[in-house]
Amino acid sequence: MGDVFQVFLRDDFLTLLRQHIVLSVAAVVIAVAVAVPVALAVRNTRVGAIIAINIGNLGRAIPSLALLAIALPFLGFGFWPALVALTLTAIPPILINASTALRQVDRQVLDAARGMGLSEGQILGQVQLPIAAPVIFAGIRTSAVQVVANATLATFIGGGALGELIVLGFQSANLSVQIGGALAVAALAITTEVLFGSIERTFTPKGLQIAQKRRGK
Amino acid sequence: MRSLALQAQPLIDWAWISANLSDEIWPAVVGHIFLCSLSIGIALVISLPVGVLVARYRKAYAPVVFFTGFLFSIPSLAFFAILVAVPAIGIGFRAVIIALVAYSLLVLIRNVVTGIDSVPPETIDAARGMGLTPSQILFRVELPLALPVIVAGIRIAVVTVIGIATIGAYIDGGGIGELIFNGISRGFFTQVIVGAVLATALAVIADLLLLAMERYLRPWARAGRA
Amino acid sequence: MIEFREVSKTYEGSDSPVVNDLSFEIPEGEICVLVGPSGCGKTTSMRMVNRLIEPTNGEILIDGEPNTAMSGTELRRKIGYAIQQIGLFPHRTIAENVGTVPGLLDWQKKRVTDRTDSLLELVGLDPGQYRDRYPVELSGGQQQRVGVARAMAADPPIMLMDEPFGAVDPITRDRLQDEFLNIQKDIRKTIVFVTHDIDEAIKMGDKIAILEEGGVLAQYDTPENILAHPNSDFVSSFVGADRVLKRLSLLKVGDMDLDPPNGYGDSLPSLYEQMSLKDALSEMIGAGEDRGVVYAGAATTSGEKRGSLTIDSIRKLSHRAEVENLTGNDA
Repeated sequence: MGDVFQVFLRDDFLTLLRQHIVLSVAAVVIAVAVAVPVALAVRNTRVGAIIAINIGNLGRAIPSLALLAIALPFLGFGFWPALVALTLTAIPPILINASTALRQVDRQVLDAARGMGLSEGQILGQVQLPIAAPVIFAGIRTSAVQVVANATLATFIGGGALGELIVLGFQSANLSVQIGGALAVAALAITTEVLFGSIERTFTPKGLQIAQKRRGK
Repeated sequence: MRSLALQAQPLIDWAWISANLSDEIWPAVVGHIFLCSLSIGIALVISLPVGVLVARYRKAYAPVVFFTGFLFSIPSLAFFAILVAVPAIGIGFRAVIIALVAYSLLVLIRNVVTGIDSVPPETIDAARGMGLTPSQILFRVELPLALPVIVAGIRIAVVTVIGIATIGAYIDGGGIGELIFNGISRGFFTQVIVGAVLATALAVIADLLLLAMERYLRPWARAGRA
Repeated sequence: MIEFREVSKTYEGSDSPVVNDLSFEIPEGEICVLVGPSGCGKTTSMRMVNRLIEPTNGEILIDGEPNTAMSGTELRRKIGYAIQQIGLFPHRTIAENVGTVPGLLDWQKKRVTDRTDSLLELVGLDPGQYRDRYPVELSGGQQQRVGVARAMAADPPIMLMDEPFGAVDPITRDRLQDEFLNIQKDIRKTIVFVTHDIDEAIKMGDKIAILEEGGVLAQYDTPENILAHPNSDFVSSFVGADRVLKRLSLLKVGDMDLDPPNGYGDSLPSLYEQMSLKDALSEMIGAGEDRGVVYAGAATTSGEKRGSLTIDSIRKLSHRAEVENLTGNDA
């Protein structure tokens, strides 16, 4: 087991870790920048929202290795192709959650807001978004955890990241490196899950937290 | 792999496809479907009784949900890496099945529990009042009513498993992933594209089929209700 | 004062209007109830006042100015709005909910707080207890009260209320209606009140506008006059077969010409000046007597004897109204 620990002290460990984090963060950020505006755009149209949600559902089914692989013939090896593929895998959960959440805000609450004299922008910013926020963040959390996991595969198209340790260990029959890489990646994924879990709570308005507790969530 | 020079080539070499359809492509697809069906089957058989048990004993619920959520976030390649290190398992078919069953269990147990939980207590009360025995209640009331949620779980599990099985090819598990990995190491685009497209097609078709079943079981299904 | 001038609304793709040539005036400080069966356009008409819906024809004037003189958003901040499902913002506290419109109008924080507290008290909720709670923690009746407080927050001269007491049980609704009428005695706002319940209309309205299916105005008058002189079969049947009794609930014993109290004994039922004629009738019938002795005041106080009242005089009053109705009605 001490050998496994040695893995974390390797020269390339921090570089690979950094690559992994950079890839993941970039993919999630771009995915949010793409998915949330789309969800906002379709929030008041039934057809638009259904299309967005169905695209999201289909996108979620696509195996991530397939997406990474298909980037290869068109974009080649390296960081950028991996980033593009990872971003594509990151979009569906956010798109689905954001579209659904915005449309599920109680129609009566929106009517009351409009009737009281809030402008369209105020309704969106003061009522719709805050109420939809928890579900949107749940989507971002799902996406982030998924991306961290998928970034492990980036190594197969030359994207580096921690998956490289696993592949290296496997190919050179070096169990410690293999397991060390695996543990590092698993730890990163779990950390992401926990981190985003607490961010999600921060973004849930107190009134909705109480409602959740009452429903026994 | 990184140092491989990618030769100029057409994106799709149809000649190669027809040449290798029966001895490489088709077996990969069949192998993949077999792997996934077997794992889901095993997972279902385990998760139904376990799920029912957990639903009955509320105290087990929270830890189970927490534990399964926790394990599910572990990247599959990492999971494989640890599995194959165990001498009794090693690389190959066996390791992949174990991983696929494990990931499916995580989803299915949670959905079986949630599904049973979603049955209104009044309904069970009425059933008991009518004189049904506990096992009759389970099989005639609870499970049928929990079915939509369970099928939703099967859908997620199937799609997940199809994806993980493609990665399993890396540790000699066979399946469509083999086309992808071979194609990458040879720098042969057609093989990669065929593999990626087939894996995607399989996943999407399975997803749509199960979605249709879900809708059939529950006409007010979530996806279209926007 | 609100005026509907030949207001019509037809939705695109539909042949029949939802609101048809509506013209009437609501005097300042009065409650006008829009009542009618489903599909009569009452809610649509109300929502045209604050332009949540725009009329296809005609216009609505507020204090002589068309309500299109300013933007919809600006207009709505001057009109209180309370709906049946209330629509409290679940992510905000009760105080924040009530303070919504004052916030939009950039009131000073202290002014908003003071106003919120006094409104919560007005609707019967202890501010100390409720201001920091969240809607999900309140019962339906409490939420409905907050809804009314929220509509009154910026002290708008006009209020629109769409079945505002609809989402609670009948007993709570009764109480909320009484309390609101009490408040209105002091604040005297011009209110457009929508309901499908004729009894609520009679109780709450200074004027009632009965609408027929297709958005046509059937009759617009005080509750008393509508009950005494319904102008069509539709109105007659809408107000109910017990119309005569309903009218009696609006009149008081004290309004009647009483017979002298000449030594009528204690065996006769006791009636009070504040009692409705309907209740008086009920007492006498229940006691098996034709006559009751009338005392001053309301039911719980025993004042001096004022006279006596007979069932016969009540019957004659109602009959006279019916005869007027029949002879005045041969259109």
